[in-house]
Amino acid sequence: MFDTLGDRLNSALDGVRGSGNLTEDGVKKVTREIRLALLEADVNYGVVKEFVSNVRERATGAEVSKALSPGQQVVKIVNEELASLMGGTAHKLSFASRPPTVVMLAGLNGHGKTTTAGKLALFVRKLGKTPYLVACDTYRPAAIEQLQQIGKELSVPVYTEGTEAKPENIAERGVKKAREEGYDFVIVDTAGRQVLDMDMMQEIKRVRSATKPHNVLLVLDVVTGQNAVDVAKAFQEYADFDGMVLTKLDGDARGGAALSVVSVTERPVRFASEGEKMSEFDYFYPDRMAGRILGMGDVMSLIEKAEAQVDKKEAEAQSKKLMSGKFTFEDFLQQMQMIKKMGPLSSLIGMIPGMNKQLQSANLSDLDDKALGRVEAMITSMTVEERRNAKLLQNPSRARRIARGSGSTQQDVQKLVKQFGEMQKMMRQMGKGGVPKRMPRMPFR
Amino acid sequence: MARSWRNFFRKTEEPEQENVQAAVEAEAPDSTADVPTAEEVQARRSPTPQATKVLEEENVQEPEALPESDAVEEASDEVASAEEQESRSGGWFGRLRTGLKRSRESVVGQLNSAIAEFRDTDDEEFWERVEEILISSDVGVKTTGKLVGELEQEALERNITSGEQLRGLMVEHAERMLEGPVELDVSHKPTVILMVGVNGTGKTTTIGKLVNFLPGKAMLAAGDTFRAAAIEQLQRWGERVNAPVIARERGADSAAVAHDAVEAAKREGADVLLIDTAGRLHTKVNLMAELEKVRRVIERQLPGAPHEVLLTVDATTGQNGLRQAKMFNEVVSLTGIILTKLDGTAKGGIALAIANEIGVPIKLISVGEQVGDLHPFDAREFAEALFGEL
Repeated sequence: MFDTLGDRLNSALDGVRGSGNLTEDGVKKVTREIRLALLEADVNYGVVKEFVSNVRERATGAEVSKALSPGQQVVKIVNEELASLMGGTAHKLSFASRPPTVVMLAGLNGHGKTTTAGKLALFVRKLGKTPYLVACDTYRPAAIEQLQQIGKELSVPVYTEGTEAKPENIAERGVKKAREEGYDFVIVDTAGRQVLDMDMMQEIKRVRSATKPHNVLLVLDVVTGQNAVDVAKAFQEYADFDGMVLTKLDGDARGGAALSVVSVTERPVRFASEGEKMSEFDYFYPDRMAGRILGMGDVMSLIEKAEAQVDKKEAEAQSKKLMSGKFTFEDFLQQMQMIKKMGPLSSLIGMIPGMNKQLQSANLSDLDDKALGRVEAMITSMTVEERRNAKLLQNPSRARRIARGSGSTQQDVQKLVKQFGEMQKMMRQMGKGGVPKRMPRMPFR
Repeated sequence: MARSWRNFFRKTEEPEQENVQAAVEAEAPDSTADVPTAEEVQARRSPTPQATKVLEEENVQEPEALPESDAVEEASDEVASAEEQESRSGGWFGRLRTGLKRSRESVVGQLNSAIAEFRDTDDEEFWERVEEILISSDVGVKTTGKLVGELEQEALERNITSGEQLRGLMVEHAERMLEGPVELDVSHKPTVILMVGVNGTGKTTTIGKLVNFLPGKAMLAAGDTFRAAAIEQLQRWGERVNAPVIARERGADSAAVAHDAVEAAKREGADVLLIDTAGRLHTKVNLMAELEKVRRVIERQLPGAPHEVLLTVDATTGQNGLRQAKMFNEVVSLTGIILTKLDGTAKGGIALAIANEIGVPIKLISVGEQVGDLHPFDAREFAEALFGEL
């Protein structure tokens, strides 16, 4: 999400990196760039002013460290300021000592509350909880059906009373029902509302006091602009939220709104939601995010994401094989299936350090799961021998057979084989410690 | 920010925008028998307060154009509550202004005091404040730079010394940037309108509102086969206005739904077909390819269609709105933008950035959840709300 902002800060800092001293002029030049980058990233005007003056002050007055170059020093300061602005470390959920834990979702129309309700339910179930959903959006047509369908998909019960009852009463009875039936995590979905609609804001206040939630989460679309600050202040006043869910992070919005809201309300972002699959939901790691803003990658998230899905020993064996260049189509197929479980490829690749820029120049961002499916079809059409020895596939009649079997063309198959060969070569190179100058085209496109 | 619905729908095929209004007006008297005006249709379907207001203001001498008694009986609770809301706060524009006032007090207050103190064009602080108000309205760094540059130059050339004159100039420049052909082309039979946009920007809701104002027989197509209950949501809107909804099961190919819908519209003689699509992030290549396919299928079934491709943009969106407009325009060639959820604290400055940098005209705005909250876009009023004295 913050890729572009990271690039801007990097280019602003490029000039400083080269220089020997931290001159006042140099700092000024850099902070001007930072200001523009942040404004273009939708960080609130007032927040930008404060941020920039903090960085300027710290950078100009900074003692010249022996360990760091002046450029590195500015990077460090910007990184630290961003991290402290975003709220330090991850804020994990705490559960009520006497269940059920009640969580209320609130937010503007269309920012993804109902989808978040489903995702959160799945998330806490993975933590061993028994989720229960309460549908209080009595306004938008078919909003209740939406939550019901999501609940059915996930096999999570959904409490509804239709659209006639008052949301606060539905919420109260829903929580009561969950307690009676022994569910230990209740998620109350509410209607989307605009902060100037006083009736609606009073309503969320009533829902809050009727359910006495342990957590109130503000659901915020990452594309939100300058008014994120007004929105957050209003929801703080009426719903008194204690954390945020940042949604649609899989788009290319720079997400400055998150910075603004956190710095104005002093409420952390707790969750990151990034995709249309119910599993694409996780804790938000502000410290890592700051690193990502600066283009330092987000290896920690990637590692944890992989760990959750992949057997560790198997992964180690795989990566050894990968780096030694003995990687076969069989391994590739296996990896693809693991990757598919983790979420969309483009978001995974964005987490690898140094890949962001290369990714853009190689235009790999159009990797998608459908393309993966095509490659999978081609590999499953190969014989075991062929999967182990890609050289066999240089035989055109074999390529033709595979094309027929997988519903693709002979050219597609040949292209895959060629790109796979290049990838093997690159992996071998990386295994020896070198990073190839140019990333080869990935075979799944 | 809004103009009346009168002449919003272009019913002739004449491409020249300036003559259209005159042409429609000239034609109106002899065609009223079979082609009702937008307001009449709207009044018949759902006598929203806005419609009534328009009729009162503009057609006082034609009382027969007022909603018929059976139409009044059809008035839903929703309309009644909208009326209540209107009367309580002095119209939607008043509501919007009140809203904007609260959130913009500081910024606009600053501008007002700056304008009061304005002496000459060398006043750096003044221009900085103008810049701040624009950026705080989501206009964006680039478009703000352009606008402020233009203003500074013209103020200098014309040797403007009064703050009020300068405000007029500011509104004028913003208006010029925002101006574009606003009318919706409904001159075809059937006219096909394709609604596209990012998740949660209000496509389905906008269709549900727009269908109330469309002239002739409308038909809806539930092309969002992805999101849970999206089909039901559209069907609910269809029931309210008694418009048939073409749908398949959830998970079906949305291009197939579009195909069915165009065929049904032709077969059943619908005048306007509104096709909903699933929300999609403009960065998802496969989903954008799917949208392109929907467009292609429509075109194949009915050459020249879709006649309007409208992108919904949430007014609270920041600079990412530019990316959205750019990518959707590249894939499905937009004919217009609908700015939704302008009832919040959002100033919708992204509209200015889109108009300036992408060049797709803004055609409609939505300022609330009621049917009557959808309005044709008015560049002048929008510009005034941005800089106007509150």
